[in-house]
Amino acid sequence: MRRIAVLLLCAAACASARAADYQVHGYAAQGFVYTTDNNFFGPSSDGSTDYYEAGINASAQVVPGFIVSGQAAIRDAGISDDGSLRVDYALADYRFISSETGSAGVRAGKVKNAVGFYNETRDVIFTRPSILLPSVYSDNQNQRSLVFTAPGTQAYATRVFGRHELSFIGTKNFNRDVRKSDERLLIDLGGLPFDLHIRDSWNAQVMDSFDGGRWQFGVSYFFGRFTLTTPPQITLAGTFDVGLTMFSARYNAERFSVTAEYVLNPNENEVTVGGIPVLRQDITADRGYLQAEYRLSPHWGLMARLDGSFSDKHDRNGREFAAANPGSARESRYARDVTVGAHWRSDEHWGVWAEYHWIDGTAPLQRAENPQGVSDTRWSLVMLMAAFRF
Amino acid sequence: MALAILFGCGQAYAQSAQIIVNPSVEAASLDRERLRAIFTMRMTAWPDGPPIRVFVLPDRDPISDRFYREQLGMYSYVLRAVWDRMVFTGTGLAPTLVRSEEEMRARVRATPGAIGYVSSGAPTLRSPMQSPLLYVGLQRR
Repeated sequence: MRRIAVLLLCAAACASARAADYQVHGYAAQGFVYTTDNNFFGPSSDGSTDYYEAGINASAQVVPGFIVSGQAAIRDAGISDDGSLRVDYALADYRFISSETGSAGVRAGKVKNAVGFYNETRDVIFTRPSILLPSVYSDNQNQRSLVFTAPGTQAYATRVFGRHELSFIGTKNFNRDVRKSDERLLIDLGGLPFDLHIRDSWNAQVMDSFDGGRWQFGVSYFFGRFTLTTPPQITLAGTFDVGLTMFSARYNAERFSVTAEYVLNPNENEVTVGGIPVLRQDITADRGYLQAEYRLSPHWGLMARLDGSFSDKHDRNGREFAAANPGSARESRYARDVTVGAHWRSDEHWGVWAEYHWIDGTAPLQRAENPQGVSDTRWSLVMLMAAFRF
Repeated sequence: MALAILFGCGQAYAQSAQIIVNPSVEAASLDRERLRAIFTMRMTAWPDGPPIRVFVLPDRDPISDRFYREQLGMYSYVLRAVWDRMVFTGTGLAPTLVRSEEEMRARVRATPGAIGYVSSGAPTLRSPMQSPLLYVGLQRR
């Protein structure tokens, strides 16, 4: 029903971008997911249509240099996203410098955090290289309300130096509660009540676009401190410092693009009971990929990607973890994903995507989606998506 | 500045795309750096103040491809990524899409501060009653 409502909204607003001072745009996509083993984005081992995403946005230029905008979105992806309506962003943007050699401004509201090439528009298939984002974007962990969009203030600047266009975006996010639907994916206290907050959270990105975007290099950083609190009678507390440092590089040729990104993800965890530390962990995960895209024609495109994801970069095969945690599978600590995909765009509004993943390891799987355990640690994932934008 | 301003002369640069601007725009130099700033929507006002209105043909139109490649030194899919990022993060307005060169001319003529492009070989539509579009031919650096 909600999907239909969004499609109707899209259709009603289809005469978008007619006026110069305000614009309405949107997207809607329906996915199909099939896995040979294990469940991903829904009950996929039987074939699942639990994966869809849609959004509608409006932007208005109130006076030159001052824009207000907002986007409402829904997304369902099995256990990791529940299809509830959310404000994806809602912001005011004031650009006080706007010239051929540079620009600078500030934004406030619920803003998109700049992380890597794809985060800010991650839910719009038309802006992604594939249906499933590379592992550096943690697509099945649903960190949207934690890392990828949040209320805050943002400053940005661009400056042209010869053939280089350097840009900077820095964001200070406000302290906030983690949504209940996200909490259950992050922490399992066996039914005990708890609250999770995030504070001291900020992020920044520096990007160099060389020669009209032919080469692009970027570094993104994110930090946030999660605090776990429980009712006084339980006396359990925790702090989890999460950092992300992402390195991004891309070469854009006429027909092909080659993209690589690598992220270091340190986690410092401390849990106390009655004020006494019971757990102290310092683990750095890392993930990365190398991807090629080939534009056969304006209608057809191909992609291929090698992706690796490791929960502990000092224990990439998970053996130390399995030895220290009897009964745990070492394969849950990594995933190596070989992906090939194709898409067909009939016009600027419609597109169909298809991709095949061969995956060794189960790191991206959600336990709540696979309650009877992982059925195979080497598995295949097929994804299809049909989408519309305006 | 290697720049030629050609009023109503559509034949000067055959096989190329040609920039057109609304007559309200003062004849300004439009080198590659400024064109990139305009078409990536980074520069939002003309040097003398009025807002810039950017009109584009569909990405797949060969004229778009030629214009972006020859005069901006960019590929259309790279520009599209720039616009999509603004549109889907709420941080800017995308250029206004027109469906044909005729519509391009009409919209640019009717919109103060407008800039667009047409193929240079196409006939110019002018009558004594109409104010001419300003055709700006850009010499490559």
